[in-house]
Amino acid sequence: MTTLAFAILLVASLAAYALNRRAATGIRNGGARLHSVSNYHGLFALLLMLVPVLVVILAWLVLQGSVVNAVVMGGLPDGTLTGLEKGQVDLILAEIQSIAGGRVFGQPEPWKLAAAERLTELRQLAALGLVLVTALLCLAIMIIARKKVSAEFRARQGVERIVSGLMIFCSVVAIFTTVGIVASLAFETYKFLRLVPLTEFLFGLNWEPQIPIRADQIAAAGAFGWIPVFVGTIVITIVAIVIAVPIGLLSAIYLFEFAPKRIRAVAKPLLEILAGVPTVVYGFFAILVVAPAIRSIGASLGIPVAPNTALAAGGVMGIMLVPFISSFADDALSAVPRAMRDGALALGATRAETVLNVLFPAAIPGIVGGVLLAVSRAIGETMIVVMAAGLMANLTLNPLESVTTVTVQIVTLLIGDTSFDNPKTLAAFALGMMLFLVTLVINIFALRIVRKCREAYD
Amino acid sequence: MDDLRAVNRDVGTNATKISARGVQVHYGDTHAIKDVEVDIKERSVTSFIGPSGCGKSTFLRCINRMNDTIDICRVEGDIRIDGDDIYDRTIDPVQLRARVGMVFQKPNPFPKSIYDNVAYGPKIHGLARSRADMDEIVEQSLRRGAIWDEVKDRLHAPGTGLSGGQQQRLCIARAVATDPEVLLMDEPCSALDPIATSQVEELIDTLREKYTVVIVTHSMQQAARVSQKTAFFHLGSLVEYGDTDEIFANPKDSRTESYISGRIG
Repeated sequence: MTTLAFAILLVASLAAYALNRRAATGIRNGGARLHSVSNYHGLFALLLMLVPVLVVILAWLVLQGSVVNAVVMGGLPDGTLTGLEKGQVDLILAEIQSIAGGRVFGQPEPWKLAAAERLTELRQLAALGLVLVTALLCLAIMIIARKKVSAEFRARQGVERIVSGLMIFCSVVAIFTTVGIVASLAFETYKFLRLVPLTEFLFGLNWEPQIPIRADQIAAAGAFGWIPVFVGTIVITIVAIVIAVPIGLLSAIYLFEFAPKRIRAVAKPLLEILAGVPTVVYGFFAILVVAPAIRSIGASLGIPVAPNTALAAGGVMGIMLVPFISSFADDALSAVPRAMRDGALALGATRAETVLNVLFPAAIPGIVGGVLLAVSRAIGETMIVVMAAGLMANLTLNPLESVTTVTVQIVTLLIGDTSFDNPKTLAAFALGMMLFLVTLVINIFALRIVRKCREAYD
Repeated sequence: MDDLRAVNRDVGTNATKISARGVQVHYGDTHAIKDVEVDIKERSVTSFIGPSGCGKSTFLRCINRMNDTIDICRVEGDIRIDGDDIYDRTIDPVQLRARVGMVFQKPNPFPKSIYDNVAYGPKIHGLARSRADMDEIVEQSLRRGAIWDEVKDRLHAPGTGLSGGQQQRLCIARAVATDPEVLLMDEPCSALDPIATSQVEELIDTLREKYTVVIVTHSMQQAARVSQKTAFFHLGSLVEYGDTDEIFANPKDSRTESYISGRIG
């Protein structure tokens, strides 16, 4: 029945389109000057019908279930529900629903069978109602729209208003989703900060997110200082950036300026494939290939190396970021006007001098913007570090030690059966909030720099 | 057209600076320059005129081998500067371009300070031995570019902040800073307003005291005003070449005459 309602709407809107378009064309052929092209008259009718009726249908579908349920429960024999808790009432409703769906267990009371029958009836009635309401609405709107067609009617403005309304609605959805996510993060963070003082969280040097299982358990009191976790993130990010920036930049410069066409044609797509490798694949590459290799190199040099080092995780993350930085640098270099290149070459600069002294400085704002975006990606990267970095929050700057990151801790805190009223779980939200703030600040910087770069040549 | 001249024009010397023989240029399948022969005199201004797409800019870019930077471009024939074949294997285009400066259609100062714009060429070619030396070169080049008085108080301001005419004179100063022998100008005034144009034209006329100047222009009045020799290009061929007075007063070829009188182009 729902499908039927949608079908009616679709057919009716197309019909309204054709009707109004035809009417407008008729007026024009009659010798009058139309304000709007007849196509706009048709589109106006189409949108006038499609948007409100769609809203009505969707609202109906959302509300139908609860209204029908309320009616059924209200129609039960007097006194059946008196003195019952909400959970028990819900249980009865669920039983009635499953009987209506044809799944009968045991011998239900006759009033339940009666209620199930009523539920089925009501549902059919509602579906019929939906189809009827849709049809009537469509008809009414079609008549209203048809009446509007006249030579002076500003159909184009009407269409533009409706379309811009739709666009505003879509952007509002995107913005409100963001606001909602941030608000829920902030709310949970607030709950966490009621249990753990802010100073301990921000400045504490210990991260042992555990809670006593019994009230009298002394040994398991946790510590929630985010510094070691954050330092771990920073160490891995620095390793990643130290690897990604030189490789990315130099490969971009080579491909942009020096590579013969044929090499460029092969190498650029290959580099882009690197960007398409799923991070989980990078993760097991890090843990199965890179980490053991670093460990055996360390062993042969007599340096103690942890099994899951920041170097392995950060290094692989750096490789992941290479195509990102390289394509950003390539775009920035290509955006430098050709006149700059010509100017430098005509002065007798070599290609290398041209790139280094003229193109690169001109492109540097764009490149820095790309690097900062890469940094915020590295900070937020999860899968590689979950697989390849450690779990213990060591406060160390040595990349050969095992460190953990904010994202890894969020994952481990939320895995498994957790209740949402203890600091252990809430800590994940606080960490998420901090991660959000840090990347937000970096992104703002990045965007500012990128904008400055744009201004340079306009 | 006599009244349009900036200064009375006598060619500085009669020595040939640049000589081209049988030059052919192909862009992919397009034959852009067909068998051009020309002798350009030292310390004079030579202008290339002709309708759009006739190959005058392409030929200009052969003289400092800027066409080398375009992959699909192929140059054949013989171009000599002071008798040296510039397409010889032993000639390094980088060094050639230090000897043959170029100014482009659109002013293209680097996004650096005015000082650094001018100092860039001398720096990469190691022309200055000391900081004071470099200051001297920069000042002199800016004076030659007739822009010193306007910028001497803000040498460290960005070159991109100047007006279009100032930028173009800055680019000329930048080109003369490497002390070239030849200065190529590819429609240097086409992006400028009339006042800036006349400033640049005056400048061109003074430049021939020291340099051999070759200028591509769309404006026949400009060719008449600044140049001593004029070459008319049409469809990739050099149609007519001679003293500017002669070309404008009695062109020998009918195509030249049609172009000058505005019937083609």
